[in-house]
Amino acid sequence: MSEGLSVSIVKRLPGFALDVAWSAGGGVAVLFGPSGAGKTLTLQCLAGLVRPDAGRIVVGGRVFFDAEAGIDLAPQRRRLGYVFQGGALFPHLSVVDNVAFGLRDRPGGERRRRAAAVLERLGLAGLEARRPGELSGGQRQRVALGRALAIEPAVVLLDEPLSALDAPLRRALREDLRVVLREWGIPVVLVTHDFAEAYRLGDRIVVYAQGRVVQAAAREELLWQPASEAVARIVGIRNVLHGTVVKATPDRIQLRWRGQLLEAVNRPGHAYLPPPGAPIAFFIRPEYVRLIRKDRGAADPAHHMNLMRGEVVAEEDYGTTWTLRLRLDEPGPPAQADHDLEVEVPHLVYEILEIAHDRRWEFSIHRGSIHVLPA
Amino acid sequence: MTPETWSALALSIRVAALATILNALIGIPIAYALARRRFRGKALVDLVVTLPLVLPPTVTGYYLIVLLGRRGWLGAPLHAATGWTITFTWWAAVVAATVMALPLLVRTARAAIESVDRDLERAAWTLGRPEWRTALEVTLPLARNGILAGLVLAFARALGEFGATLMLAGNIPGRTATVPLTIYTAVQTGEDATAWALVGVLTALSCLVLIAANRLGARAT
Repeated sequence: MSEGLSVSIVKRLPGFALDVAWSAGGGVAVLFGPSGAGKTLTLQCLAGLVRPDAGRIVVGGRVFFDAEAGIDLAPQRRRLGYVFQGGALFPHLSVVDNVAFGLRDRPGGERRRRAAAVLERLGLAGLEARRPGELSGGQRQRVALGRALAIEPAVVLLDEPLSALDAPLRRALREDLRVVLREWGIPVVLVTHDFAEAYRLGDRIVVYAQGRVVQAAAREELLWQPASEAVARIVGIRNVLHGTVVKATPDRIQLRWRGQLLEAVNRPGHAYLPPPGAPIAFFIRPEYVRLIRKDRGAADPAHHMNLMRGEVVAEEDYGTTWTLRLRLDEPGPPAQADHDLEVEVPHLVYEILEIAHDRRWEFSIHRGSIHVLPA
Repeated sequence: MTPETWSALALSIRVAALATILNALIGIPIAYALARRRFRGKALVDLVVTLPLVLPPTVTGYYLIVLLGRRGWLGAPLHAATGWTITFTWWAAVVAATVMALPLLVRTARAAIESVDRDLERAAWTLGRPEWRTALEVTLPLARNGILAGLVLAFARALGEFGATLMLAGNIPGRTATVPLTIYTAVQTGEDATAWALVGVLTALSCLVLIAANRLGARAT
């Protein structure tokens, strides 16, 4: 795979050690994780700005770094399009000079044509003579991207490309960036600590925590089958709960939690078979909990699996959805601070069911919506 | 003003201008190296360059005699080879002014270079620029105002240099007697009018220079 990218590096700094290995094909690979996990350091190693202590970096069939073979290409020779956090546009140069900065070795005519083509394609035509200080945040972001793309890099590296922007602009530009990256078709490595951004932009997500990769997977797989409770917490999955195994088969896992007997589907592909009595972690997505309508007769346990009863003890309005905190009708301390389960309902459902007035509910969770997490 | 005071003024400006040019040639690379490079002996270079700022100028002047005098470490071989010695020539005044002004330029320029965002330099590297071109096209242009402010200060310092110049160049009217030295002579011999005239000129020049440096410094941020 000539356009692939494989990274396997160790870098020790005072108080921090990076030790990661991952690979990516074409498309957008996202390095996702909390701040200080080593994501930017990895980009710097890829670009040749930081020299790893050990390991190997291969991009598009070219060996950039190989500690054992003594190979370490200078950043100037790697031809990677590095888009720095905040853009790092040259403030003393015009937009067109910024974009053409990496084209110095080409004849003047070609340099101008190529810079003009990039500006045109990114919708920046007409801004050629402006200085970066005279651009909006979104325009600066595009110029930074254009400057990196102009050199026709083997891979584009984006370090927190949207973090400097305000929330509404950030969302608009996220979609914008998504379209540009798809259109350009260049392999991309993007760093972010925002999971929505990672999921929206990435084809493949590499999850970082404390200088290590805890999971690397296609984005859907990461969301539905996090490799561990730690990964589930890093990607911000809610309702991560702890129960006890009653019975595990390759298809199903029965477990006991807060006095309830729950049935979950075992992980497809790689079933998890803990012995009865073993502790088990699992999660329930708040948007997959079904509140049972009271105007359609009593709930039917044959129809509604994992049926439970409880009370709304708190709620939060998120504009388009409500998050309800439910406490089960069970003695004993609740599973999460003051509640057992978070449930998310759209505003429309909240209004139709009159949840504002009606606080006691029966609810059910399909077995396919309870996801077990391997220890 | 007498022809003597005019010649002192002309000499001072010539010496200060040349010292400023030498400061640019020597001081800017030193400032860049101190700001951006890691090398052996960096702390020593920093110390030696800064020392004239805190040492009494006569001590610096004495070191320059030890180094450049007819029997000096560099002066002796130079004398043996060419028969020429720098001491008591106007070049000695240039050297003394250069050395005394260097710490002002290096410290100001170094701070200006250090304040340039390193990501801009890294960006230039990833776009194919070698480090020296990056310095010329990105770092130094962005540190320009700070460097200019440093050069203006260096010029002012060179214009007012007294102690080290007296040690290395002497006080020879028409050859090495710069404005500060001429003022000293005038006061010693009771020529109050001459002293006043030169004091006034030097004060005015220094004020102009400080205003220029402040303006440049304000724009540097």
